[in-house]
Amino acid sequence: MGKRGGLIRNRIRDLREAAGGITQQELADAIGITRQTVNAIEANKYSPSLEVAFEIALVFKAPLEKVFQYGDVEQ
Amino acid sequence: MSFREKSLWVMLLAMGLAAFFYGHAVAYVSHEQFETVPWRTMTVDAPMVVMFHIGVAVLVAFAIVGHLAIVLFDRRTAEDERDRLIALKGARVGGFVLATGVFFALWLAVISTGNFGFTQLLLAFWVLAQMADYAVQLWLHRKGR
Repeated sequence: MGKRGGLIRNRIRDLREAAGGITQQELADAIGITRQTVNAIEANKYSPSLEVAFEIALVFKAPLEKVFQYGDVEQ
Repeated sequence: MSFREKSLWVMLLAMGLAAFFYGHAVAYVSHEQFETVPWRTMTVDAPMVVMFHIGVAVLVAFAIVGHLAIVLFDRRTAEDERDRLIALKGARVGGFVLATGVFFALWLAVISTGNFGFTQLLLAFWVLAQMADYAVQLWLHRKGR
């Protein structure tokens, strides 16, 4: 983790709503993680592994940088 | 609350209950030794061994019944990467507590002639280590990290 560690943000909640209101549980089931982990990722409390990050991006058919951002940059 | 958290609560309560039972039982059965011989020469006798086995049985029975109860009311979810990371963090804290206990138990073994003190101290720290492991995991699950 670099000097700016802990600043991984995401737009998962927005993407879930944009995709027709996918629930945290449905997203968790699609990836093979628990609903609590999806909740922790959404709340920026837990940074997922690269594999899980790519899986989430695949579910939303979006590039990784559209789902996750590093630092204060808004995309 | 996830299946994993409920399971941790069951194990924490089971360990606490078994330790409470064993502590009281050993204090009761070793009462005579406490009054007649110096603590450094006390030895683990047959009634204490029986109490240990009953304590283990209490732990196992409570854990089985507790897990059966949560399986009835909750679907079992597979462990994921965050659960494994939290388990590792809990084990690290538990390992530190156990290592501390091993150090003091060895010290007690050196200064004692009987085996009572160091076995009970080692057992107590093992229970503490397990409980610390479960408590840290529960805290991290609640905290969301």
